[in-house]
Amino acid sequence: MENEVQAEVPGEGESNKTVPDVVSSSPIDGVKEDTFEKDDEDENEVKSHGEGEDFTEDAEALKQELETIVVVPPEPEVPKQPVEVFDPAEFPSSYKDNLPKELMVLQYADNFRRQYVHLYRDRKPLLLNPVNECGIEKFVCTTIRPSQLPFKELYNWEGAAEFVADYLNFETLEPAFELPTRLLSPATVLKRQKGNCFEFSTLLCSLLIGAGYDAYVVNGYATRETCLADESREICPLLRKKEEQKEEKKQKVTKKYTVKPPKDLKSKFEQKMDARRLAEQKAEEDKRRAEEEQKLAELEKPPPDPLHGLRIHAWVLVLSGKREVPESFFIEPFTGLSHSTGSESYLGIESVWNHNNYWVCMQDCSDGVAKLSYDLGDCTMWEFMFPGVDKNQLLIPEAEDDLDNLDDDEDKEEEEVHLDLPPSWVDPLKLSQKDFEMRCPQGKKTKLYKRAKLEKFAHYLLDDGLISRLSVFDDQELTDLQVVKEYYEHRSDKLNMRVHNHRTGWITEHFHPGRSKNVKEHCYRASAPAPENDRTMHFYDEARVDGLLKRIETPLSMTEHYKNRDDFLFYKHVDFGKRTKKFGPQDEVVTSNPRPIVKMIQRFERNPKKPANADISELIFLMNEDKIQLTYHTVNAHIASSTREFIKPQNWDEKGAMLAWSPDMHATFQVDPNADLSKQVELYENLLQLLKMEESCREGVRESEEEVKEIINDRQKEEQASELDISVYDTERNEKAKKHRRELERQQMEEKMRKQEMEIDYLAPFLAQMEDPEKIGRADACKLKEDCLADLKQRLIDKANLIQFRFEKETQELQKKQAWYQQNQVSMSKDDEEEYLNYCSEAMFRIHILELRLNRHKEMAPHKYMALEQKLRTDPRLAEYL
Amino acid sequence: MSRLYDTVEPSVVDEEMLQKAVEEQGPKDEAGKIAKREGINFSDVLSLRLDFKNILKIDNLWEFTALTKLQLDNNIIEKIEGLDSLVNLVWLDLSFNNIEVIEGLSNLKKLNDLTLYNNRISKIENIEALKQLHVFSIGNNEIKEYKDILYLRQFPMLKTLNIANNPVSREDKDGFKQYVAAFLPNVEFLDYRLLDQQTKAAAYEKFQTQVEEQIDKDNKARAAAEEHERKMAETQLHKEAYVEYLNTARLFEDMYADDPEGNKLNQIPGVDEMLLVFKEKLMTVCQQLFEFGLQEYDKRKAEVDMFWECVNEAKQENKEMGMEAINKFMKDKKRLFIEMVQMTDTKMVDNKLQEYNDQVSALWDKLMGLELQLVDQLEEIIKDFERNMQDLVSVFLESVQAYLTQARDLENIHNERMIESATSALEKAAKNELDEDVPEELKMLLVDKDTVMNAVTSSHDVHLLKIDNKEDDIVTRINNWLKNMIETIHVEQEIQRNRMRVTEITHLIDHLRDEADLLDLVQEDDGVV
Repeated sequence: MENEVQAEVPGEGESNKTVPDVVSSSPIDGVKEDTFEKDDEDENEVKSHGEGEDFTEDAEALKQELETIVVVPPEPEVPKQPVEVFDPAEFPSSYKDNLPKELMVLQYADNFRRQYVHLYRDRKPLLLNPVNECGIEKFVCTTIRPSQLPFKELYNWEGAAEFVADYLNFETLEPAFELPTRLLSPATVLKRQKGNCFEFSTLLCSLLIGAGYDAYVVNGYATRETCLADESREICPLLRKKEEQKEEKKQKVTKKYTVKPPKDLKSKFEQKMDARRLAEQKAEEDKRRAEEEQKLAELEKPPPDPLHGLRIHAWVLVLSGKREVPESFFIEPFTGLSHSTGSESYLGIESVWNHNNYWVCMQDCSDGVAKLSYDLGDCTMWEFMFPGVDKNQLLIPEAEDDLDNLDDDEDKEEEEVHLDLPPSWVDPLKLSQKDFEMRCPQGKKTKLYKRAKLEKFAHYLLDDGLISRLSVFDDQELTDLQVVKEYYEHRSDKLNMRVHNHRTGWITEHFHPGRSKNVKEHCYRASAPAPENDRTMHFYDEARVDGLLKRIETPLSMTEHYKNRDDFLFYKHVDFGKRTKKFGPQDEVVTSNPRPIVKMIQRFERNPKKPANADISELIFLMNEDKIQLTYHTVNAHIASSTREFIKPQNWDEKGAMLAWSPDMHATFQVDPNADLSKQVELYENLLQLLKMEESCREGVRESEEEVKEIINDRQKEEQASELDISVYDTERNEKAKKHRRELERQQMEEKMRKQEMEIDYLAPFLAQMEDPEKIGRADACKLKEDCLADLKQRLIDKANLIQFRFEKETQELQKKQAWYQQNQVSMSKDDEEEYLNYCSEAMFRIHILELRLNRHKEMAPHKYMALEQKLRTDPRLAEYL
Repeated sequence: MSRLYDTVEPSVVDEEMLQKAVEEQGPKDEAGKIAKREGINFSDVLSLRLDFKNILKIDNLWEFTALTKLQLDNNIIEKIEGLDSLVNLVWLDLSFNNIEVIEGLSNLKKLNDLTLYNNRISKIENIEALKQLHVFSIGNNEIKEYKDILYLRQFPMLKTLNIANNPVSREDKDGFKQYVAAFLPNVEFLDYRLLDQQTKAAAYEKFQTQVEEQIDKDNKARAAAEEHERKMAETQLHKEAYVEYLNTARLFEDMYADDPEGNKLNQIPGVDEMLLVFKEKLMTVCQQLFEFGLQEYDKRKAEVDMFWECVNEAKQENKEMGMEAINKFMKDKKRLFIEMVQMTDTKMVDNKLQEYNDQVSALWDKLMGLELQLVDQLEEIIKDFERNMQDLVSVFLESVQAYLTQARDLENIHNERMIESATSALEKAAKNELDEDVPEELKMLLVDKDTVMNAVTSSHDVHLLKIDNKEDDIVTRINNWLKNMIETIHVEQEIQRNRMRVTEITHLIDHLRDEADLLDLVQEDDGVV
């Protein structure tokens, strides 16, 4: 509609100004005077122009132009979409009626509104008593129902806000610049999982107040992005970098005897010139970057909003003080995020309320909300509705005077009547564990952020345990995928997070501790997940026996880092050669054709128990050249380290062969020229030891390769059948426990049934026939007994007869069949004959059973009869007479 | 040994026997061959077995300084001796010998397995130094008394004990065993059997009172020892601060220790009060000096610590720079060598070789430059340090002198008073007004003025001398300390360190050049082929 008006008055500033006013007047709120006023103004304007028509031609032209303008009177708002209708039967009476006290509050509010409108003609109407589900007017404060739900996550405001934002789907206000006419109760909102900003805020407020926060619903104005919950210009909270820790530069403390640095022989002038040039370059670069950033920022700026400053919104204000909140802040109910009270998203505040009182903002909001004060007791800033219900009132004694102005003579009476608000009419808020765990409607929610998309899933909703997926894009249109981060929970393979970088093609998987190989992080190329490719694995080294921290692989090398090992090994690097192609039948040897090892490097940390000159620091096995190179640790006083090189004897790889030794098989450099040369025997033994180390190192490498393969296999299997862990305490999901419980319940039920059966009173039908079952005389007792016994007798006979009858029937049928068989025996096919035989044997079996039953019945009947008689004799009700 | 050694010729531990034993027990196979070719140094041998050799006297083992395991069982040794130089010994077996007394083991501090099985030892003694003892075997000996077990309480590490078959345990085997279990709670294996918790508990129950008494006694002894140690440490600290005993009345006592006249004069009536005042005042001065001395000591110590910290930092930094240079060079070298080996053109090889040699020279320059820099830096701070220390010491000495001057003044005042009292005493003596109970020796002095005055003066002189001595002592000692320290720093830090580093660098550079030469030779041969 607004567009319509605009289209009719192109280029007319004044009309433009009036448009919002015209539009804003709503027929519902009875601010018709407003519209009339405006119309009057328009007339005046036209008149004033009319007076000037004699003087200028311009004025004439203007007049003509103005005459073309047709001011369309605002049409009464017709709800564009059918309003959801609720069945009043679903709701308790508090929804359908108003108690006297509530009525009084409503009247009071109405009075307040009248005066407010009277005093502040140019201000927008207040949201005081919208209708509820059943079309009954309810005061907004009573719509807040402070409640505490039994979930610990909801005890803190972060959790509660996130829950409300996740759990509900939001609806926008229609139109965006008008207050809603209906406000549903939080209980209903919770049920239908959607609501507008007011319903969001009321629900959140109910939870926060229930959790002890000093929270208020705020009615005000916000930017379009906030009203529409459009976060596509915000950086995703998950992506926001944590404040980078400033690197503490270790200031070198100049001690008394710290040596002076060597003299600097560089030219100071040149340095200065260099520095200046660098600074210039940097400045230029900074400037360029700043410009670029500005350009980008402008590009990203949302298009201007024609309704800026008019969009009505509701959010939550949490004041400092309670629950150790140090500073007041806003919570945006749509996103669940907190904003400072100076946030630019919010443009103005009309009123705030909680379950106790209602305050109207009397401060100037033309500069946004940044400068507002939230001392609700200060009535120059906040006009309250109910006196004396809030402790804030006590702060300022003068409040009484203002009250007089406002409420006139009724003051005293009102104060007594409305000392407190009636209790909330809303049903208690209920939320099942299951619904709470589902979080979002249908357990899924997708949010768009600046260059990012966040999908949330409820726990256990997806089979692979995915709970959220964050996709980061390189452009605004979300087409150029950069990184995908997937978060998992409850997975039995302990997968925690998977990051797939689409730029580099690397996938990084993070795991919780507790996997069989203690993998912490696994990083590999998506295109080459097989073993012997580029990959990095991090491990939980404290959980591993070998202290492995990290293993980095490329197709031709493998590097391992260790920590806290008894043998002081901390680094191991292996270079592989190309696999030698084997010709001939290859199928069997494929598995036993490892990559040949070209070089192995091991590095050790200093072992304080050995002298530095005998403590190996680096050990290199050159497999191709049959050489072993050693570097020892550096002695404290020296700067160079001793080295030694062995050439392996010819027959070193023959098993059981005696290794020959000749002095030219080794070369040694000792740092200390005065040190004694090692003896040949020692060197020889050293060599033997090194050969052993080489062997074990090689075995270690092969084991590592195997382990990698195993891990990858495991991972593949796990990915194919992703299983979720279910806690033993989770009675809902733990199938086994559920089964067990059901079984128990069933058993209990059976037990109960049996007990009931046991307790069936066999005398009941007969007692019922009597006139007065309470008073039984002797004759009655005898009669009862007789009846009872007769009945049993009859039943026993009946039963015997029934069995007899069936027995005879079966026998007859069998005889018939036999006769038929006798007749047709000749012309029978083999199948028919078989069928007949089958039938015979079955029939015989049945007859036999019936016969048995009959016999047993005959045998048991007298016993049963006797038992009943005995029972009747001892029955407490009859005992005295029999 | 139960054998009669009359019938057997005792043998002597000589070169030949040792050589043979070493060779027999040395490395086998190929290593053995190499070893034989090369010869084995006795000082490298780690374990030696000399059993069943009829050795009577342990001898000639001084060369085996690295020995950790020595077996001398089944000989006829009568006395433990000649083991003093085997300080690394961990395992010593002297079983089946004729030893009567445990002795000569106090140097073997690392010993943790000692076997004296089957000897004639009647008392466990002289092994206090063996704190590491784990295994002790003294079975089949002549131990007679229970209290020898108590002796073993001082070895906290002792886990295995064999004490079977001694006269002490013959009468009541189980009782003795329980006794051992109760008094040696750390022992886990007794006579090669595990002592389980139950046995131990039962034993403890049985001897509870005695054990607790013993524990109490041990604790007291330990506490006394600790107290003594603490005192020693304190005195040591005071000595280092050059103010030892100044917090006691030692100086005052010293004054009168060599002063017979003074002691006599002190018996003059009325002097004792004066003496008390004097003593108190002197003590106050001494106490002040003492406290000042400790303060100064702390200052000096802080200064010295700071100096060393800085020196070490500088050295460390320098070392790191040097190592970095070497590492960088080594990387280049590796690359160069690989290139050179692969090349076939002699000219290019020569070029490369030239490049390598240049790099070696550059490395030499760099390392020597670093060293020179360090020398300069150290020289400077050593000079600073020396000056500061000198200042500190002179301040200290000045104050010491001031305090001791105070002491002298006190002594002078005291002396004057002494003169007064002596005079008055003399007068009294002349008038025969002296008390009856004045000792004879004083009366001897109080005969005439000269004698008295002489006595007073000589006493005074002695006192002054003592104070002077104290001063001299402090001055000399602190000056010596300073001189020694500075000298050590000069020699060790400047000269020795520098020489060592330069040698090392030269050695390294030579080695690097040699390496290139070796490689080059190979290269040329290849070229010829």
